[in-house]
Amino acid sequence: MEEISVVGQVVGGKFGDIIIRQKSGSNLEIGDLMVSEENGSYLILQVFALEYGSQIQDKMQQMMSGVNLEQGIVDAQFFEPEFVNYVLARIKPLARVYKEKGEVKIPKSLPSFFNKLRLITKDDLKFLHKEKDSIFVGYIRSGSKVIKEAEVWLPSEDVFSHHVLIPATTGRGKSNLVKTILWHVLDSNKVGALVLDAHDEYFGRQGVGLKDHTRARENLVYYTPSNPPAGANRLTINLQSIRPEHFEGIVDFSDAQFQAIRSYFWKQRDTWLTTLMLTSPEAAEDRIAAATMGVIQRKLRLILGLVKDEEGHLVSKHEVFDSATKGFTTVDDIVKDIEQGKVVVLDTSRLGDEAELIVGNIIASKLFEKYKAYKATGELTRKPVATVVIEEAPRVIGVDVLTTKNDNIYSTIAKEGRKFKVGLTAITQLSSVIPRSILANMNTKIILGNEMKQEREAIISSASQDLSEDDKNIASLDKGEAIITSIFVPFAMPIKIPLFEDIVREKGVLTQSGKTKVF
Amino acid sequence: MSDIHLGFQKHEALQKIEQEVFERAMDQCISCKVDFILIPGDLFHVNIPEMRVQKFAFAKFRQIYDASIPVYVVYGSHDFSPVSNSVIDLLAEVGYITKVTKATSLDDGRIKLDFLVDEKTGVKIAGLSGLKVGKDREYYEKLDRESLEAESGFKIFLFHGGISEMKTESGMDGENMPLSLLPRNFDYYAGGHMHKFNSQNFDGYPRIVYPGALFAGYHSDLEDNAKGQKRGFVLVEFEDKIKNVEFVEIQNTHYKIIEVNAENRMAESVNKELQDKIREIDPAQQVVIIKVQGEMTKGKTADVDISAIRDELNQKGALVVNINKNQLTSKEYCITEAKGANKEEIENNVFTENIGQLRFEQKNLLGESGVQLAKKLLAGLIQQKLENEKTADYNARIKENAFGVLGIDTDAS
Repeated sequence: MEEISVVGQVVGGKFGDIIIRQKSGSNLEIGDLMVSEENGSYLILQVFALEYGSQIQDKMQQMMSGVNLEQGIVDAQFFEPEFVNYVLARIKPLARVYKEKGEVKIPKSLPSFFNKLRLITKDDLKFLHKEKDSIFVGYIRSGSKVIKEAEVWLPSEDVFSHHVLIPATTGRGKSNLVKTILWHVLDSNKVGALVLDAHDEYFGRQGVGLKDHTRARENLVYYTPSNPPAGANRLTINLQSIRPEHFEGIVDFSDAQFQAIRSYFWKQRDTWLTTLMLTSPEAAEDRIAAATMGVIQRKLRLILGLVKDEEGHLVSKHEVFDSATKGFTTVDDIVKDIEQGKVVVLDTSRLGDEAELIVGNIIASKLFEKYKAYKATGELTRKPVATVVIEEAPRVIGVDVLTTKNDNIYSTIAKEGRKFKVGLTAITQLSSVIPRSILANMNTKIILGNEMKQEREAIISSASQDLSEDDKNIASLDKGEAIITSIFVPFAMPIKIPLFEDIVREKGVLTQSGKTKVF
Repeated sequence: MSDIHLGFQKHEALQKIEQEVFERAMDQCISCKVDFILIPGDLFHVNIPEMRVQKFAFAKFRQIYDASIPVYVVYGSHDFSPVSNSVIDLLAEVGYITKVTKATSLDDGRIKLDFLVDEKTGVKIAGLSGLKVGKDREYYEKLDRESLEAESGFKIFLFHGGISEMKTESGMDGENMPLSLLPRNFDYYAGGHMHKFNSQNFDGYPRIVYPGALFAGYHSDLEDNAKGQKRGFVLVEFEDKIKNVEFVEIQNTHYKIIEVNAENRMAESVNKELQDKIREIDPAQQVVIIKVQGEMTKGKTADVDISAIRDELNQKGALVVNINKNQLTSKEYCITEAKGANKEEIENNVFTENIGQLRFEQKNLLGESGVQLAKKLLAGLIQQKLENEKTADYNARIKENAFGVLGIDTDAS
């Protein structure tokens, strides 16, 4: 190793908390990756804490400072300061890479004592190569330095079927990350995705977005309730597609109210919702109390935005639900697209919270039912993995929701979707309110910056790798910086997610020029 | 009117009905004194149909022309001709009909559509033909929508293609496109390609109407007819706005439909039910549709005896007997769908996944050797007829190939 590249030397500590002395002028950062060359292999280590070290006693240092500050004239200096004062970095081993085979293993031993360490380079990360049908999430980051030659690709089928959690607070780059992931999902048909886009920000109705992908025409389907841009679909779901169970775990109905709803469904089947909404509460069937009927109608009216028009027909204020002739096949069409490995983005920005979840519930339930059937018939192996991308995930998989209401499709997918190749991609600011059993099932976590200690603790305690020393590291993650912890990566990887706009500029659709042949 | 599919029917009795229905619809247009007729695609089933079809079509369009009724047409996916060599072009050339699509390619890659103006009414008409798979979408995406949408006056848009938002059944797959690809702000959208009458309005699209097939353009249309699907055309009344859209039914023929559910049954019992049901009906002068579907527990699908049923119905004077066994499978042997990255892979997967169901004494027909044999046999059988090759020579060549693959000595047989 050239002396010039050395940044520190192992001077003590224990496994998982090794102490190195920083070479003067090196300026190590939290999160920096460094390498210790060993016999036939090398260890990749990461800085998780920095502190001062000195050969001079504290009291002496304080006295010297007093001289400098109070005397005002004398500028006292240490003799050979780089020898006496220095920085100690606490580092932990992340991986051991065997040079001959290129194997990456979890380290089980310490680096050689007094070994000199250097910062990681692209050549140390050659084991990170793109495999077939993987998705790009970012570049390896060493502290705040980005190693652009070391791209991080995750095996898409495995990652999505085993659920993905993206925990972060506002402004840390969640949307940018989700767009980057979906952009690479569009590259192939190996993963189908249902994206509930509550802010209508992924498609790129204004500005750049997924629509600019070269395969968007084949692989991207966009549904929006009103004024769809050319080529997009109108999000209209016929009320006949809604079944009572779609409200379960989402809307607070009492037992009596649910019984009344089910009773209408059994009697009226497809037209149950329209009939229920158009029946006067006093004329309710099956001895349903007028008050109960009134409450159900009011709740449904508010949630689904339904109003009765002059002719007595039910119409939806936000145009998503239709009681007449439209939207009969929307749910089936969407499920079919997902089954073909397409990304289906639903603009739910005009819907209320519950209506958005119900729309997602209707589609996800159908998708899940079909995938379960495929498993039974042996066709599942030929189907692409499906993922449901949902923001503010605690709305459906939060502790309070799951303890006070029945399971909903999202929690069902989180618990047992993996068996049927259906996964959840959950985005949240509040990981702490998601039950540990579900958090532990989310086998890939892409952790963005989070200043809330409670949230960091929830993430750290459910991570696939030991992040117990990474609390400060996570707190100090800047916008676009993340740590990937997953059963599909050899160690918790610090990454920098590129700006989505840059990806589009580099790989997006080029405007075609020249005449089109017309007939 | 749309999706007339002249020339689709192969059976003489159905050909007659196809012609009669077309002629009656046109006669009704003449008697109603319509201002003009719109045909948004698939007037013919192929772009150059047989002479019989051309003959009666020309005769009828001549009558329409003599009655001073303009006919505005776009190609459909069936009668499309990229080089304008079709019967539609012949009819346009002699002036009996007018092709609506007036497309020019702009330097920036966009496609500009010009309007034509109906002389009598001043209505502005534009349209785009239905193309083959996937191509329509590209054209609509490149359309210069601004000029079309900004045009003032009463406007009609003719198009041929399925609209996703107007599907009524999940089974209606294929080349549907989102409504948003159509230019907005036309007063009336005359659509073809969807074979059932459908009239709806959407924000920015005040009236989109599919009249549906006039008689039948797919085999499933006959089945739908037998189940009560009404066929006809649409009579539209308008001034500066659409006033009324009326579906005018054109009766075609009489049907009898027999449906048998073969799920979890044996071929014998299915045959018995078919025989019983046939005896209950009077098929004379009727189009009889027989549909057998479901997964049998025992027997091959070929054990459901169709020929006997057909003979019996024909003897009783059935006009046509149409038997649909497409959805009939058997647990004993059914081919499961298989996928792959390319044709070879799909073929290989189909054979590999299904060969386990076969029970033969000849071991070389089973397992991996069976798969290889099946692949070789398929490769031999799918060879195309060569240019100028006589049919007899072609048949002999294919047979020889097949026997060769199977190792059968033709001389010995």
